[in-house]
Amino acid sequence: MSARSIRISGTALGILGLLGVVALHWMVFFWVPTESSMGIVQRIFYVHVPSAWVAFMAFGIVAITGAMYLWLGDDRLDQAGVAAAEGGMVFTTIVLITGPLWGKIAWGTYWTWEPRLTLTLLLWFIYLGYFLVRRSTDNPQQGKKFAAVVGVVGAADIPLIHISVSWLRSLHPDPVVLKPEGPTLDSAMLITLMVGLLTFTLLFLGLFLIRFSAESLDRKLQLREVAGQPQEA
Amino acid sequence: MTPSLEARGVVRDFSGFRALNGVDFSLYAGELLTVFGPNGAGKTTLLRILGGGLRPTKGEVRLHGESVDVGDREWRRSIGVVSHQGFLYGQLSARENLIFFGRLFGLDRLEERVAEALVNVGLANRSGSMVRTYSRGMRQRLALSRALLHEPEIVLLDEPYTGLDAHAAGALRELLESLKDGRRTVVLVTHALTQGLDLADKVAIQVRGRFVRFESKDALPTENFEAFYREVVETAVEAA
Amino acid sequence: MTYLGQVWAIVHKDLTIEFRTKERFAAMASFAVLVGLLFHYALDVTVVRPQDIASGVIWMTVIFSALLGVGRTFYLEEEDGAMSGLLHSPIALDALFVGKFIANYILVAMITVLIFVVFAGFFRLNFGGHFVALIGIVSLGAVGLVGILTLFSAVSSRTRMGESLLPVLAFPLLVPVVVYGVDATTRILVGRPLSEVAGNVRMLAAFALLSIMAGVVLFRFVVEE
Repeated sequence: MSARSIRISGTALGILGLLGVVALHWMVFFWVPTESSMGIVQRIFYVHVPSAWVAFMAFGIVAITGAMYLWLGDDRLDQAGVAAAEGGMVFTTIVLITGPLWGKIAWGTYWTWEPRLTLTLLLWFIYLGYFLVRRSTDNPQQGKKFAAVVGVVGAADIPLIHISVSWLRSLHPDPVVLKPEGPTLDSAMLITLMVGLLTFTLLFLGLFLIRFSAESLDRKLQLREVAGQPQEA
Repeated sequence: MTPSLEARGVVRDFSGFRALNGVDFSLYAGELLTVFGPNGAGKTTLLRILGGGLRPTKGEVRLHGESVDVGDREWRRSIGVVSHQGFLYGQLSARENLIFFGRLFGLDRLEERVAEALVNVGLANRSGSMVRTYSRGMRQRLALSRALLHEPEIVLLDEPYTGLDAHAAGALRELLESLKDGRRTVVLVTHALTQGLDLADKVAIQVRGRFVRFESKDALPTENFEAFYREVVETAVEAA
Repeated sequence: MTYLGQVWAIVHKDLTIEFRTKERFAAMASFAVLVGLLFHYALDVTVVRPQDIASGVIWMTVIFSALLGVGRTFYLEEEDGAMSGLLHSPIALDALFVGKFIANYILVAMITVLIFVVFAGFFRLNFGGHFVALIGIVSLGAVGLVGILTLFSAVSSRTRMGESLLPVLAFPLLVPVVVYGVDATTRILVGRPLSEVAGNVRMLAAFALLSIMAGVVLFRFVVEE
């Protein structure tokens, strides 16, 4: 794909995502029925769950592009990695804000050591390490490799971290969508959730592509600025 | 005859700038090449690429006519490197330092080799002392014997005279002269015009990532080399 | 057998230097003892039973001391450009990782023994009949701990932030060691049957494997330029 088509598709996906967010909020506030046992506050779940999905999917992209960057050394893979990580960190932050808001009412406390919430907090710190390490080397090439290493080890470790933190009894609501006997969610709720997942995925992909092309422009600009000015190696 | 060491169109970019911009040369066994050049000319980068420590962005390095890659450990076995840093551990004795590097190279008869090597650089009587107690000149001689321990056919020297007084520089010069035994190929990078020219068979002047001169020493005005060198560098800088 | 020779060269060199300077050991040991002392004042053992909290306190002390010592491991190679010397030698970079790992592991193991002895004295713990099981759990947990710390200390020592970056990178990844290590240690200290910790051992082993593999595979990308 050319740089131009990446920019155009990123913008298109971003606009679709934003329209989706408007539609989703209309559905959440005016259309979907209130869930009987958890009450009105359960509606935050249509933002919370899709954000969590995007947060982890983005880290998957970070890890895969990181591994491929180490292997092939193509700078575009690193651009994709950092674009995914930035989007991922934003959505991880959304999960960490919406989770406690809901928890305060549902569980009576902002923070509990609930496994999925804990895992998300750890994910946020792994993202933080990814960005810190990128920015703290004098040789940018090295920072990119270090960040890729953080992504790969993080992704390999996340299942183990998940098992560890889930090992103590979970407070999280039991799965209502993905379970063997089929979803027990009311169909309107299911539709709203699906719209949420689709919307956030589109929004993320839009942000990802826009960020990706901005990153490549930035690197081209840097190359142009220093071209023909050799320095001490 | 195949050259023992060749560079073919070697280019190296560091994110954002070009340190080497197409370096070509061939050296035959027994030759010593001295590379002169102002700061920032990319001389150290060139040596790192020749030593297999850095991958060229474009171009290749050939040993005996065969292209080599950074991952190639046989390449490192045939190369010895001395820089202004000694790669030595201050808390180990001279002997222990050499034994350590010998093990990395998997050398046989290690004890004997190390003993011989220490005699050759005149450090046998201090071989048990910690390297941190060594003078700059002694460290540099030890660094040279570390680089030669595995009998490399190619020796790369990066500013070996830095920080040495006249006496120590003289001792080092004698050792470097003994490297020219007709089999080894040596690349010496230095600012020290007199010392560098003295040992050279071939001379290169590197400016802004390329060789602006690469000639046999006989073809150069050795009498008035300093003036010649300045003129070459200034012309090249203006042209760039 | 050059590979094993290279691993041995690194282990021998690191431990010789450590034995001569005792820098890392002294820092880690005084840290451990002082932490024990501070815990004595920070925790009221007339309110909480020592054996209930000891395992958490001991594990955190092991982890912090390891962070302190292992975090310095690549500074040895900064002196006089030693790392360039290694990279100019034909050493396999995974052999360099394994050598560094073993040397660090030995150092951490010595400190861990010290921590157990000191904390047993300070908190009047009785390790009882399960002493061997306890050693087994801690040794296994330490493999994963030292593996992750060795890999990321290679990263952090080559950044401007240096050692202060190491906990940010390593701690989120070390959660499995803490969860399973502390739990197993607590169970053993309160005298539960060993069969109860079989699951913990499996998880600690899985983490140890992951951390060694990550180091062996990824280390070369960290040190190569």
